[in-house]
Amino acid sequence: MRTMTPPSPDGAASPADGGGKRSVLAEWQLALPLALAFASIFLAPLLMLVGVSFFNDEKITQPGFGQWAKFLGDPFSYKVIADTMLLGLKTVCATIVIGYPLALIYLDASPRLQKVLIFIIVMPLLLSVVVRTFAWIVVLGREGVVNTLLLQLGIISEPLRLLQTELGLVISLTQIEMPLMLLPLISVMSRLDPNLRDASSALGASRWRTLFKVIVPLSMPGLVAGCLLVFASSTTAFISQTVIGGVRLIYLPLLIWQQSLVVFNWPFAAVVSLTLLVSVLTVVSALSYLGRRSGGYVHG
Amino acid sequence: MFSRRRLLAGATALGGAAFLPSIAHAKGSVAAAIYPGTWEEAFRAIVAPALKKKDSVDLELQPLFAVDQVAKAKAARGAPPFDAFVLDPGPRITAIQDGLFDKIDIKKISNASKLPAGLVDEWGVGVNAQVVGIAYNPKKVPAPKGWKDLFSEPWVSRLGLTGFQTTFGTVSLIEIAKVFGGSETNIEPALVELKKVLPKIAAVGQPAAMPSLFQQGQCDVMYTNTQTVATLKGRGVDIEFVKPETGAITFLTTLHIAKGATDVENAYKYIDIVAGKEVQEALTKPPYNFIPVNKDVPVPSYLPMKSLDEMSSFVRHDWAKINPLRAGWIEKFNKEMAK
Amino acid sequence: MGRRRSLADLSYGLVIGSLAALALLIIVAPVVIVLTTSFTEGRSLKFPPTGFSLQWYEALFDASKSRQIHRAVYNSLEVAAWSTGFGILFGSMASLGLARNRHRLARVADGLFMSPLVLPGLTFGLAALMYFTLIGLRPSLNLIIAGHMIVTVPFIIRTTSASISQLDPALNDSSQSLGASWFYTMRRVTLPLIAPGIFAGAFLAFMASIDNVPVSLFLSTARTDMLPIRMWGMMESTLDPRIAAVSGVLITAAFLLMLIMEWTVGLTRRMRD
Repeated sequence: MRTMTPPSPDGAASPADGGGKRSVLAEWQLALPLALAFASIFLAPLLMLVGVSFFNDEKITQPGFGQWAKFLGDPFSYKVIADTMLLGLKTVCATIVIGYPLALIYLDASPRLQKVLIFIIVMPLLLSVVVRTFAWIVVLGREGVVNTLLLQLGIISEPLRLLQTELGLVISLTQIEMPLMLLPLISVMSRLDPNLRDASSALGASRWRTLFKVIVPLSMPGLVAGCLLVFASSTTAFISQTVIGGVRLIYLPLLIWQQSLVVFNWPFAAVVSLTLLVSVLTVVSALSYLGRRSGGYVHG
Repeated sequence: MFSRRRLLAGATALGGAAFLPSIAHAKGSVAAAIYPGTWEEAFRAIVAPALKKKDSVDLELQPLFAVDQVAKAKAARGAPPFDAFVLDPGPRITAIQDGLFDKIDIKKISNASKLPAGLVDEWGVGVNAQVVGIAYNPKKVPAPKGWKDLFSEPWVSRLGLTGFQTTFGTVSLIEIAKVFGGSETNIEPALVELKKVLPKIAAVGQPAAMPSLFQQGQCDVMYTNTQTVATLKGRGVDIEFVKPETGAITFLTTLHIAKGATDVENAYKYIDIVAGKEVQEALTKPPYNFIPVNKDVPVPSYLPMKSLDEMSSFVRHDWAKINPLRAGWIEKFNKEMAK
Repeated sequence: MGRRRSLADLSYGLVIGSLAALALLIIVAPVVIVLTTSFTEGRSLKFPPTGFSLQWYEALFDASKSRQIHRAVYNSLEVAAWSTGFGILFGSMASLGLARNRHRLARVADGLFMSPLVLPGLTFGLAALMYFTLIGLRPSLNLIIAGHMIVTVPFIIRTTSASISQLDPALNDSSQSLGASWFYTMRRVTLPLIAPGIFAGAFLAFMASIDNVPVSLFLSTARTDMLPIRMWGMMESTLDPRIAAVSGVLITAAFLLMLIMEWTVGLTRRMRD
C-alpha cells in the first residue's frame, strides 16, 4: 500500500494548482484509463464474488445468508482466522528482526556494496515459488541441511521437526517476503540525513541508543510499509503454507482452495475469501494507523 | 555433451515457439485436459504422435487435476476450455450431475469391444485402472502388511498422510476406517485412530508435495498408487509397493467429451486411440507404468495381479455414496488434524 | 563510561552483524540449493545432488524433448511483457495523475490501485474466471494478461509515485511559468526524471507476472499453458530435475536483465527509491 510514501507536505496542493492553466484538469484525468480497467476487471469480479457469497446452495440459485451463517457460526472458523493473522504477524516480526539489521548494514555500506546487497535482496523474487518449496523441503526436512548440520555438530541427538511446523513456515516465508520488507525500508532509510546519526554519537549516545532513538523512529514510514506488504503477502501465500506448513496448519487460503476447487462450494469459498480480505484489510489499516501516529514528521 | 549447436537449437526453439500456436491450428485439433505429471508426459509422448499419425489431429493437452477440470468446466458454463475430460470416479459423478458431459456414441469408439465389460458406459470410456496401496522405503522400514500396521511403530513415526482432496487419499482413508470398524460411509474410526497417533506422524501434506517429502526422507511410508511407485523407482527413489492384506484398492480413470466441446469428432478420435492396443501397450512401459485396460495388452509383471480379470477381486467404492459426504469429511479432517 | 560504551558498541556490531548474516543466508540458501540441484547427475530432484552434469540443461534446451516447457516459457514471457507494458502505460499515467493530488477521491483511487497487493490472489483468480465466463469470454492469453496487469501494476505505481514525490515541484512550476505547455513539461521535464522509477517498478512487475500462480491457475488453458503451472505439474509426480534447470535459466536471465538495467537506468538505486 502506498501509505509508504509519507505525505509530502510540499507536494500537496502546490500553489501552481490554483494558478496553473490546465494542470488541474489534466492531471487527475490521467488516472482514468487505469480506473476504468480496475472497475471492469477487478471491482466487477469482486462484486460478483460478494453476490455469490449470498447464495445458500452450491448451484447458486437460492439467495440467502446460509453460507455466512455456517462460517461465522463455527468456532473453528475463528481459530483459522486468528491463526492466519498470527502467521502474518509472526512473519512480519521475523522479517523485521533479521531484515532490519540487514538494512542497517546496507546503510553503512559503500555504494558498490550497496548495489551488490540490492541484487541479493531481490534474489527471492527470481526463484519460482514452485521450486522454492522444494528448496525448503531440502533445508528443513528430517534429513535436511539444518538437521544434518546440527546432528554432526552434536548439538542435537534427534532430528528436529522443522518441516510442517509454524516455525519452518515462518522461516521460509521470511525469505520470500524479505524484498517486500527491505525495499521500502531501505528507500526511507537512505534518505535520512547522515548528520543526524553522527550528531547523536557525537553527543555520546551509544549505537544502540542511536538506533532506537534516532534511526528507528525516522525510518518508521518505510518499516510500516514493509510490514503491510509482508503481512498481506504472507497471509495469502497458499503454496508455501500448504507445502511447507503441511495441512495440519490450517489457514484461510487452504479453506478457499478446498471449497472452490475440491468441493466446488463457490458461495462458501466466496465467504472465506471475503473474510480473508476483510481481516487482512483490518490489520493492514491498524498497522498503517499506528505507523502514521509514530512517524509523521520524517522526510527531512 | 552440452554442445554449442544444441544450445543454439534450444535457443531457436525458444524463440521459434512464437510461431507455434498458428501452425498448430492448421489442421484439426482437440484440446484435452490431462493430469499433470506422468499422465501429461505419457500422453504427449505417445498419444499425441499416434493421433497425429492416424487421424492428422493435433492433441493439445492442458494439465489439470480432476477437481480443477470440473471447476473450470463449471465456471465456463457451456463453453468449456477443453474438449475432453480425464477423471477419477468421484469428480466423474459430480460432472455427470452437473451436466458437463455429452453422451458417448459407442459406435464411434472402434476399440470399445476390446475393453472389459463395465469400462464403457453412456458417459465415458475407462482407459486406465489405478491400483492404490501402501508405498514404503525398503531401506528405512520393513514392509508393512496392511493398513493397521501404519498405526504402530516403526511405521507410524515415518508415515506421510494426505487428506480427502484426492481420490487415492479418500479411498485409502476409507480402507483405514474399515479396518477399525468403519465403512464406506463412516470414516470416523480412521480419524479417531489418526488422532491418537497424530503427534508421532511424520507429515500431513499436500498430495503434490508427497513425492518430494518421501524422497528427501521426511516420511518413509505413504499411501499411493502403483504408477507413482513405479515412476519414482524409475527415477532412482527407494520405494516399494505393498498390497494391503485387506486388498488393494482399484478405480477407473475415464475419458469424457465435454458438453459444448468445439471439436467433438476429434474428441472421439482421441478417446478411440487412447483405448487402442498400440497406445495402451506403450503406456504400460516405463517410465509411464500405466495399468492397461485393453484385453490384447499383457499385464506388466510388477503389478500385484496376473490378469485384468483378477482386479475384479480388488476393493472398489461407490462414489455416488461418497461424493455427498466428502465435503463434510474434508472439513472434519481439517478440524481433527489441525494443530 | 567510555569502556561501557565501547562494550555496547561491540555488542551492537555483533548482534546486528550476525542477524544480517542470517538474513543473507536465508535469502541465498534456497537459490544455491536449486542451482546446485540443477546440475545433478541423478534422475530426480534430490539434494545433495549426485555428481555433476549438464544433462538437465541439455534436456531443457532440447527442442523436441522440452517443447511444452518452451511453449510455457514463451506464453509466460508474452503475458509478462504485455501485462507489464499495459502496466507501465496505465500505471505511470495514474501515478502522474494522483501522486500529488490530496483530494479524498484521489486517495481512494490510489488505495484501490494498490489493493491487489493485499487481496488473496486465489480469490481474484476465481472471481475473474467466474466473471469473464459470465460475460461470455472464452479463456485466452488476453484475459491472463488483463489479470496479471491488475495484480502487478501496484509495483509500477509504487516506484513511480516514489519518484514523483521526490521531484521538486518548483521544476514543474518554473517550466510552466516560463510558458511551457503542460504536455511539454511532462515530456521534457517530468517523464525523463521519473522514467528510471517506472522501469524499476516494471522490473518487479515483470518478475511478479512470470511467477504468478493464483491468477494463471484459473485463467490458463491448454492453449495458454503458463510456466509456473507447468512446473507445479512436473514437481507433483515426477520430481523432474528440469524444473531446477528452468529456475537456473530464469535466474540467470533475470540477473542479466538486472545488470543491463543497472547500467542503463540505475536499477538498484530506483528500487530503493
